[in-house]
Amino acid sequence: MKELQYGDKIIRMEGVIVDIDDCSISVDLKGRLGFFKAPKRMFICDYPLKVGQELGWNMSFPEQLGPEVNEKYVSNIEKERRKQEEMRQQRIDNKEV
Amino acid sequence: MSITAETAKEHAKDPAVLCCRAEAGTVLSASNLEDPAIFDDLVDSGLLNLDGCLTIEQILGATLTKTCDSLTPLTPDVLDGVKEVASEEAAEETAVPVAAAPAAPAPVAGPAAGGVLRIHIGEGKDINIELPTGLTSGGAAVAEVTEAPVAGVAAAPAPAAVEEEKVIRTLTRKHFKITEVKRGPETKIEGTTLYIREGIEADVVADQELVKKFELEIITPDKYHTYSETIMDVQPIATKEGDSDLGTGVTRVLDGVVMMLTGTDEDGVQIGEFGSSEGYLDENIMWNRPGCPDKGEIFIKGNIVIQEKTNMERRGPMAAHTAFDVITQEIRTVLKKLDESLVVDTEELKQVRRPGKKKVVIVKEIMGQGAMHDNFILPVEPVGVLGARANVDLGNVPVCVSPLEVLDGCIHALTCIGPASKEMSRHYWREPLVLEALHDEEVDLCGVVFVGSPQINAEKFYVSKRVGYTVEAMDVDGAFVTTEGFGNNHIDFASHLEQIGMRGVPVVGMSYCAVQGALVVGNKYMTAMVDNNKSESGIENEVLGCNTLCPEDAIRALAMLKTAMAGEDIKKAEKKWNPNVKATNVELIEKAYGKKVDLVANEQSLPMSQKRKEKYD
Repeated sequence: MKELQYGDKIIRMEGVIVDIDDCSISVDLKGRLGFFKAPKRMFICDYPLKVGQELGWNMSFPEQLGPEVNEKYVSNIEKERRKQEEMRQQRIDNKEV
Repeated sequence: MSITAETAKEHAKDPAVLCCRAEAGTVLSASNLEDPAIFDDLVDSGLLNLDGCLTIEQILGATLTKTCDSLTPLTPDVLDGVKEVASEEAAEETAVPVAAAPAAPAPVAGPAAGGVLRIHIGEGKDINIELPTGLTSGGAAVAEVTEAPVAGVAAAPAPAAVEEEKVIRTLTRKHFKITEVKRGPETKIEGTTLYIREGIEADVVADQELVKKFELEIITPDKYHTYSETIMDVQPIATKEGDSDLGTGVTRVLDGVVMMLTGTDEDGVQIGEFGSSEGYLDENIMWNRPGCPDKGEIFIKGNIVIQEKTNMERRGPMAAHTAFDVITQEIRTVLKKLDESLVVDTEELKQVRRPGKKKVVIVKEIMGQGAMHDNFILPVEPVGVLGARANVDLGNVPVCVSPLEVLDGCIHALTCIGPASKEMSRHYWREPLVLEALHDEEVDLCGVVFVGSPQINAEKFYVSKRVGYTVEAMDVDGAFVTTEGFGNNHIDFASHLEQIGMRGVPVVGMSYCAVQGALVVGNKYMTAMVDNNKSESGIENEVLGCNTLCPEDAIRALAMLKTAMAGEDIKKAEKKWNPNVKATNVELIEKAYGKKVDLVANEQSLPMSQKRKEKYD
């Protein structure tokens, strides 16, 4: 496994809960720094979850592990995209009928 | 920050370092010392050098001869009146009269026990003395039991009679072999061929409102290199004979075939999934793990499509599992009527109690945060749906079951994400720790407690307190706590260990930890831990079942618990994950038991997918 070069550069981040469902929490990073969605079990919660609550965590910067493209993932993403497209289309067609 | 006298005592053998500036002439006490718990980090970052540093027990009461700054390691040249502390060996020797028998395994068997085990009771009433049976000083395992009681019987004035084993109940598994699965006009089993009714798909779709589409695929070994959506669950096909309840009577099971569930929502989004972990089956399944298919088995693989946007809602995964059970149930009905002559193997599982042996309990933490982080508990049929209650609905409180109920499929797991560490329904059917503990003649397994892992901390502590009281009421000598996956469930995992440990019950924790699953919290009762990791780099490698609890982990945990119950120390874990710890422990166990512990293969044994080659190894 490649060692991280900047793994110890830890910064405090904050975000806001923008969506909660039965298995995940969606978070907008404050300062327009992005968005992420992660499984509930990766969050530590002292209070019942509500949209609008603020979160804090430490993180570093994601680093590229190398220049190579992993074809396997590319093909999975492509397959996934095509399948979703197809299924969505099917659903729309069904509704029209 | 300074430490208390109590902490100083606990860390007597750890390095003594000043917590703050101290003037020459100061008589050192605990309040002058820094907490040794933080030293590893300081040493790592080069802020602290502990070479030549004296231990806390040596310097307590000594006088400082020179004014020193904070974080100065205390060495003989700045101190006056350093205590001479007997070396390690000498200390152990002095302890011998008390612990003669446990410390030396070999002499126990012989009539001339290496030391004398002397128990003197001047005056007393109702005295029960229990002696640990056959212990090694290796810190890992136990010698032959047959020999150990010799010392116990000879020395103990109180009756230490070992009572007869009691068989509480039995469960018979009748195995039927399936070598071929085909589609046909009706669901039936002819010889070793299973036919699944054509058009059964419509019944699956009709069963649940949320299920919109269903496809059935039969995967034979020659089709293992097939692309598949993420595997949600792997289930055995089994049914009860007659009216018997789960965990008793007779269970019929099909060998050579398993049910496999996959699914997406109408928009093609995986059910309860994050990221892509789909791919070719043979590259993504760790064969022969307790929860996984065995190599050579046929999969009856169903792909369920549920209503759009319900993939992340609780009702989505529930509907998928419930609908898929329609097929399993139809096979079960056929299996019930199958002729006895087709039975290829009969296996009898006995729930044995061993009065007089160390009583242990297994606490299994299961997911309970909602959606696919849920489990159906105690269905009518093995790994069925009907009659079961979701542990989220039960409030995640502890539920006690018998070991045979576990092995008879009392858990229908909706299985949480993280393919490598999730315990699928089949895992419980072949749960290695339950099997090992049940068959181990040195322990008395009294039951299994399932406890859910809720999302909110207050609820986590609510359930873990219940675990504490449940275990207290059981009056056990030792306990195991296991959990699947990693994340906030490690908070209650730690709390369960604390609740049990604070009641004076030795407890061993088991979880996938390694690199990515490193524990987020800890407490002083988390000293005996077994890591379920098998992956080469210690990570969630997206290979189904790779890092789940296997027989080798169960053997290690049992050896560790026996050691802890015997009152021996378990060595402190290293700061960072080091796979050699496991290797050394396995070696110690092999030596003590005189038998080989077979280690399972990891992802390196699979055809190397490009993704793993580049990403992880």
